[in-house]
Amino acid sequence: MQSIINSIIKNRNLIIYLFLSFVTFNYLYNNSSVHYSGLGKIGTFISGSTSSIYSYINSYFNLIQENNKLVQENLELKKYESQIIYKSDTIDISESKTDKIISAKVILNSINKSKNIIVINKGEMDGITKEMGVISSKGVVGIIKNITDNYSSIVSLLNTDLKINAILKNSSTIGSISWNGLDPRIVQLNDIPLSSSVKIGDTIVTGGMSFYFTKGIPIGRIEDYNNTSLEGYYSIDVSIFSDFSSLSNLYILQRTDNEEIKSLLNE
Amino acid sequence: MNRELVKDLFLSLLIVLSQLLIFNHINLFGTVSTFIYVSLFILYKTTYDKTYLILFGFIVGLIIDLSLQTYGAHTLASITVCYLKERIEKYSFGVNSTLPLAMIRGTQQTNRVTYFFLIIFLHSLIYFSLIFFKFEFALTIFLFTLINSIINFIIIWIISMLIFDK
Repeated sequence: MQSIINSIIKNRNLIIYLFLSFVTFNYLYNNSSVHYSGLGKIGTFISGSTSSIYSYINSYFNLIQENNKLVQENLELKKYESQIIYKSDTIDISESKTDKIISAKVILNSINKSKNIIVINKGEMDGITKEMGVISSKGVVGIIKNITDNYSSIVSLLNTDLKINAILKNSSTIGSISWNGLDPRIVQLNDIPLSSSVKIGDTIVTGGMSFYFTKGIPIGRIEDYNNTSLEGYYSIDVSIFSDFSSLSNLYILQRTDNEEIKSLLNE
Repeated sequence: MNRELVKDLFLSLLIVLSQLLIFNHINLFGTVSTFIYVSLFILYKTTYDKTYLILFGFIVGLIIDLSLQTYGAHTLASITVCYLKERIEKYSFGVNSTLPLAMIRGTQQTNRVTYFFLIIFLHSLIYFSLIFFKFEFALTIFLFTLINSIINFIIIWIISMLIFDK
């Protein structure tokens, strides 16, 4: 206690000076509009800076919640998007309705094999069934192959066994997408006749003529093509939109009319 | 001792009144304001208590502020100068800073000029910084400070000579 008193006595000039400065600043602040506004700005700057630092640090602790929130938001948007596609294109007989979208997280992924498989953290318990289409926020990813109660495996677009119905967005020429097992960024678009007009940069989307995907889901962009084939079809390389090396959140699409169409085909 | 204190108080009162009645109304070339009350802090004897000096600076500054409607600019400049006076003394006079009237006699003229000018410059700098109170006016603040410091230095130097040569 004595040392505190001694310290106060020793620094009395500084204490008095600071106290009087505070009184003076208070006087300035309350009586002069220029200083009121100037000191107010400094106050705002200090509180703004400290708050942004706090917010910046705090945001790291909330990343998981933020990410989940964004996934949910994305899910809602995907649902909305699929409804718009359905409504705006009802004359297309191949079009069908996607009324359920399930979000999932990738827990296993590979891109360096010829038959790549992705495993997600959602299964039968979450309403996933076989042959549901899977997309990412950028485009097509694959199709559900096997399911357990809590997990599902996806046949990736980077699987040489998979073929997906696709069209040229500009001309609606129908083809099919498959992968030759070489470059994980490039897939091949087949069955496009030489009579069609093809340009580098054209967008490829799903054709809707399958049980897996509705029409118009982006797949990729034409990277290169070759029209010297003797079979009468282009050989087209497509750069895929989805980055398979960094897949994280996926969306599983459920078409409600699949069973109805299948029963029709079986008759 | 008491007689000396009464004389100092009388002198202080005279300088403050001169500031209020005469020098507050002098504005040279539209930019130079004369603040002769700073001489009170300059001439405050080095042996006197510095705590009293800070309180004295606060009272004098407040009186000038109230008379000029400057809302504390003079007060803050005054108490800062009073608080830093001891350091300025040591910087200017070195070992001679213990002499009661080091600013008048017993020290080299250059040291005395440094001491006078440092206090006046610091006072003007704080005062004009508070008056303009914006970074955009940094150059203006510096120019006003420099011009006012030079003029006030001359006036205060003359006043101190008049007081102590008598």
